[in-house]
Amino acid sequence: MVLRDFIHLAATSLAARRLRSVLTSLGIGVGIAAVVLLTSIGEGVHRYVLSEFTQFGTTLVGINPGRTTTHGTSMGVFGSERPLSIEDAEALKQLSFVEAVVPFVQGNAEVEAGNRRRRTTIYGAGPQMPRALRMRVNSGEFLPHDDPTAPRALAVLGSKLRQELFAYRNPLGQRITIAGNRYRIIGVMEPKGQVLGFDLDDTVYIPAARALELFNRETLFEIDVMYRANASVERVVEGIKRTLLARHGREDFTITTQEQMLDVLGSILNVLTFAVAAIGGISLLVGAIGIVTIMTIAVNERTGEIGLMRALGARQAQIMGLFLGEATVLAAIGGLAGLAMGLGVASLLRLALPELPVHTPWIYVVLAEVLAVVLGIISGILPARRAARLDPVEALRDE
Amino acid sequence: MMRLHSGDVTLFAWHALQGYPARTLLMLIAMAIGVAAVVVLTSLGEGARRYVSAEFASLGTNLLIVIPGRSETAGINPSTMMGETPRELTLDDARSLTRSFSVRRMAPITVGSANVMAQGRQREVVILGSSHELLAIRHWRMAQGQFLPGTDLDLATPVCVIGAKVRNEIFAARRAVGEWLRIGDRRFRVIGVMGSQGRSIGVDVHDTVIVPVASAQQLFNQSSLFRILVEAKSRSAIRPAKQFVTDTLRERHQGEEDVTVITQDGVLATFDRILQALTIAVGGIAAISLGVAGILIMNVMLVAVSQRTAEIGLLKALGANRRQILALFLSEALLLSMLGAVLGLVVGQLGSLAIRYAFPLLPAYAPAWAVSLSILVAVATGVLFSLLPARRAAGLDPVLALSRR
Repeated sequence: MVLRDFIHLAATSLAARRLRSVLTSLGIGVGIAAVVLLTSIGEGVHRYVLSEFTQFGTTLVGINPGRTTTHGTSMGVFGSERPLSIEDAEALKQLSFVEAVVPFVQGNAEVEAGNRRRRTTIYGAGPQMPRALRMRVNSGEFLPHDDPTAPRALAVLGSKLRQELFAYRNPLGQRITIAGNRYRIIGVMEPKGQVLGFDLDDTVYIPAARALELFNRETLFEIDVMYRANASVERVVEGIKRTLLARHGREDFTITTQEQMLDVLGSILNVLTFAVAAIGGISLLVGAIGIVTIMTIAVNERTGEIGLMRALGARQAQIMGLFLGEATVLAAIGGLAGLAMGLGVASLLRLALPELPVHTPWIYVVLAEVLAVVLGIISGILPARRAARLDPVEALRDE
Repeated sequence: MMRLHSGDVTLFAWHALQGYPARTLLMLIAMAIGVAAVVVLTSLGEGARRYVSAEFASLGTNLLIVIPGRSETAGINPSTMMGETPRELTLDDARSLTRSFSVRRMAPITVGSANVMAQGRQREVVILGSSHELLAIRHWRMAQGQFLPGTDLDLATPVCVIGAKVRNEIFAARRAVGEWLRIGDRRFRVIGVMGSQGRSIGVDVHDTVIVPVASAQQLFNQSSLFRILVEAKSRSAIRPAKQFVTDTLRERHQGEEDVTVITQDGVLATFDRILQALTIAVGGIAAISLGVAGILIMNVMLVAVSQRTAEIGLLKALGANRRQILALFLSEALLLSMLGAVLGLVVGQLGSLAIRYAFPLLPAYAPAWAVSLSILVAVATGVLFSLLPARRAAGLDPVLALSRR
């Protein structure tokens, strides 16, 4: 039997029972569609979260007061006997690989401009913040390089807060009152949107030392260090650790690198995507059982045909190949149909729910099709073996 | 006119299924996988929901949580959770919250981390500043000694209560109660050790040292509170208590509403909704496989109809009408999908039993709605997908059907 005959035989026997073939393929197709769609959503969410994190740059190291406890975050943020101070932040600037250092304090207060008031988030930050976090100033300028321990009372508004307080008037040079203290506005930031639950537009940025005073705190929430792209992370962490150890006498701070965070997040999201895909894969399993069932029936029905072929000299391997081929073609067609369905629904989702990130990498598409074919082969093995082992004499008598 | 009793129909269907054991078994497995998947996955989701509910319930009962700071844009967001405010929550604020009929107890809370040291061993732990009432609010139990004394909130008594882990790490096998413990730059007398069941969301009580709130404020050089926990008298008193807390604090803060009051029920309901939605989604995804099993049943029934054409012809020739043939095939599908569903239910329940056995913390019980819905969907798809083959069989012309062979 040449290959062409082989394909011809398989194709005609599938075409002869068109409805049956279509339904069998459909079973696999639904499974593949579910897997493709679910992994697309998983991958989309994965990318979305990573881009949320990396939009601040990847060469960042965060330092928090207090040692890490078992649940990841340090309680030192709320209060610590060994605070992280503005002087600490200044000391870190001396390190050779450091590009920018931003001290952070965060709080909540009422901001008043003229007769408009709004309760909003106050960020105490350093002058290098736009550079370190890749944020842009829309008009005016960001906080100037004042004496870090006694800065002037200047403020920069987030775009949404500017809209709320000043509507269409020019806020630059205006005075606002933050919890009773007067500040002069020197800049407005470009819109940044929500980042992981924090609305960065509904905020006002003031110098960190002023924020510490305002909230009557001793310790900063965090110091963000941006390092040069060519410096190795280990060296950076080592350097920061040495500086702070020299200042504090012991390790009472926590250093988190952006890379660590991305690694942890990435692996969590991968596991989630895999789990969801596996749940979708249950349908695939059922589809495979469908192929087994239909092929078993086919072998039963075509006992006479098989007997004839064997009598005419077809070897066992050829019979087996024929049935395996049929099962594989069924699964492959089902896989293609499933891919089309999955991708179709994915693009529909993208249209209907633009905020739900959906992304289908090509490798998934290829993998899904390979999976379908492999499933076809596996589920074809049992029926095909039965067909191949039929005794030609018995099989012919069956007719 | 031929008469068929429903018992005869079922028996007939049963024999038809028995005639082809291999394919019947495969279809049963297909159906069972779908039902079992739905049962197991929803039981996982339900387990997670119950676990979270229990965790929240262990926080206390009829609880209100007062958080300093309020944001106008979104009710509660991460920034309110850790934010600082210019006008802090003070001990006086906390004390004023007890003056209502709807409030039973109140405990102020400050949190921070500090180094604790005793007899040469040291450890960085979470320091919780609170009052006598906290024990009752959180339903905690003491393992040894007693909890913080019920003295005035302003009194910075140098005593502390330690968690079991702190005790083990620092005092090891020696007696802890009555010993001195250095926290930061101050000394505290250990007066009690917390019991074992003090585990709840966010704070691991095992690894915590609890001191009087005024002492914690001195330690961290703060005059503000991190939270105030208020316990309402009863479930129905939660609303008035919330109103009272909001009003009182507004009055005390010169008419400015700068605190967020969340109720335990509110938070619980939110989590409940999220986890419920997740359970439904996961169960729904698993239920796709029921659809696939339905397609399989349809396929096999179509094959069966074409294989049994002669049989159908004979039945029709003997006087069976359309409806009877239809009923024959439909009951075959019904029997098949019901058996499959029951099989799947058994496997699924065994699966969730195994989960409960492997993770005793997770009460993984399949919710009743999921069980009944999955069986219903299984049976419905079985019947629905066999409608086409059954109709094809019923529509066969008896003469042609008989002459086929």
